[in-house]
Amino acid sequence: MATEPATKRPRFTHVPSDKTKLEMLHYMKLVREIEDRIERKLYRQGRIVGGVYVGLGQEAISVGTAIHMEKDDVVAPSHRDMGVFLMRGITSRRIIAQYMGRRTGLTRGRDGNMHMGDMNYNVIAFVSHLGDNVPVAAGCALVFKQRNQKRVALCYNGEGATSRGDWHEGINFASVHKLPVVYFVNNNAYAYSTPIHLQMAIEDVAMRAPGYGIPGEVVDGNDILAVYDAAKRAVDFARSGGGPSLVEFKTFRMTGHSAHDDAGYVPPELFEEWKRKDPIPRFEKQLIEEGVLTEKRRDEMQMECVKIVDDAVDWAETQPYPAAEEVTRDVYYEGQES
Amino acid sequence: MESMVKPSTSETPYTLTIPAGLALDRTSYLELYYFMALNRKLEERLSNLYRQNQVVGGLYSSLGQEGCSVGSAYALQRGDFFAPMIRNLGGLLVRGVEPQQVMGQYCARAIGPTGGKDLNVHFGWVDRGIVSPISMLASLVPVFAGIALEMKMKGKPNVALTYVGDGATSTTDFHEGMNFAAVHKLPLIIIVENNGWAYSTPTSRQFNVPDFVVRAEGYGCYGEMFDGNNVMTALDVTRRARERCVNGEGPVLLEAKTFRRKGHAEHDDAGYVPAEERAYWEKRDPLDAYRRFLDMHRIVETSSEIEEIDTRINQMLDTAVDEALASPFPDPSTLMENVYGD
Repeated sequence: MATEPATKRPRFTHVPSDKTKLEMLHYMKLVREIEDRIERKLYRQGRIVGGVYVGLGQEAISVGTAIHMEKDDVVAPSHRDMGVFLMRGITSRRIIAQYMGRRTGLTRGRDGNMHMGDMNYNVIAFVSHLGDNVPVAAGCALVFKQRNQKRVALCYNGEGATSRGDWHEGINFASVHKLPVVYFVNNNAYAYSTPIHLQMAIEDVAMRAPGYGIPGEVVDGNDILAVYDAAKRAVDFARSGGGPSLVEFKTFRMTGHSAHDDAGYVPPELFEEWKRKDPIPRFEKQLIEEGVLTEKRRDEMQMECVKIVDDAVDWAETQPYPAAEEVTRDVYYEGQES
Repeated sequence: MESMVKPSTSETPYTLTIPAGLALDRTSYLELYYFMALNRKLEERLSNLYRQNQVVGGLYSSLGQEGCSVGSAYALQRGDFFAPMIRNLGGLLVRGVEPQQVMGQYCARAIGPTGGKDLNVHFGWVDRGIVSPISMLASLVPVFAGIALEMKMKGKPNVALTYVGDGATSTTDFHEGMNFAAVHKLPLIIIVENNGWAYSTPTSRQFNVPDFVVRAEGYGCYGEMFDGNNVMTALDVTRRARERCVNGEGPVLLEAKTFRRKGHAEHDDAGYVPAEERAYWEKRDPLDAYRRFLDMHRIVETSSEIEEIDTRINQMLDTAVDEALASPFPDPSTLMENVYGD
């Protein structure tokens, strides 16, 4: 499907300002540059510790949702939501250091890749057992409700995680107690190698929402403006006391499950189809048509991202590994280190 | 879908109707009565034994829910699999379990199906297609999805039926098992016995939808709601669900609207249940209503016919109590038996 002309694009209720559009484009490009560097270069050079999971092709989702977060909101991202970390203010330097197992990474070299969080930025560390962050986010939202705070919790999962009990229990609990939490499902068609039709007997995950008594919406996850619009609606709904909602983003995982997986089980024509729907060139084309962006500025933005990542890699490589005598630290909570 | 049973102040008597298309012979009508009455009276005896300190452990009552478990189990055929929950004694009786065995089980006697090693309805007979319930509610859903998977793989014309309460639907196992069964189109029937309370949690704090059955759509399977206090409806919906399953149309999620008239167990006085709610459901007693139905539709020829069945049950239960209590506690030498599959 080719990008439709701007005039025919559906009008959204919530449309970002030009400045916000460019900010979102920057973050999408930065996510892609960081992940490209990690997956295609550093990993292959043996400079990364452990596995690599990227959100190639899904950048619009984390960026277009996290843009609506306020300072005190809490977010529980999945492993394909790098944009969340960056938009919360976590630097590229610390992220690369995390992937390199360095002392200045988010887990201080204790854990690898996207298994990271930082409560200074209200980012809850990703739990490997997919769907486990659903009850955790519900718990955060319960605190907000009990304390009468206008805060919202955001939670991300893939469609595979929706088959898990934690997902079910967490959403049901959040619904019964009308908690201020938004559940995003990045439906990227494959849960590792399991295609959707072996994952669920329904067309859309959002069809489950009425069963929990909450609103559900299906959104083109590769259209940043659609993501922005739907996410704004869901976040506002939660913040105004309406309770949880479920937003399903249709997208596609443009890589294997991880850097070690060649995804030979995915029919090549699916990759070709979704390459044409790549959210970044699609957004750039639209911004150029709108006169918000020029081709020259687009290329400059690209170079800015490359520079940020160059700097992050150079910096991370000067960082020490964790010292052996620190091994017993960070097992129990010892207060936050800024 | 509109909720069919809402507490109301109207005084219209609760009358049972025959579901369209349900053809039953006289013997079947009377058998349904027999099993419901046996279920009720057996539990009354157990309640007495409990008060006499003969029962070991808890006693769980299905008072008010007999119609659902008897009717649904009655729809099953040879080769089908069935697993009761704690309020499905009626189904066990339909499947051939005898009163003295149930009493022996409750009183931890050697005559009980577990030989006195486990209690209440925690027993199964796999060769009779009865699987022992699991205390962790809804854990039977994936187990029964597994049984249904075997039926599908081997091309057996059978179904697997188990029950959950409204509370168990909030657990992990329910969700994972339902989803798996839907994806693989397994011949699984799940009856959600929505009896208003999960221990002391009312359904309003259990899920945020008026009728649980709307979740069937979220799994991509067929769902139907029915009056759980009408034994004939329970039989009819389960029979139709069975046909769908055997035809390869995938699992069926049924929601029975009913009410737990006693506490969670004999030790719970259920003081948290509003009196008017209880009173409303007392008027909808499945056994009384069915007795009135049999009379009104002239299925019984004389009123003494029902009394004869009741008398027969009472006599049988007298003998069963004696037989159960005459049975010894398990012999210590049997301690290691039945720990692993023999």
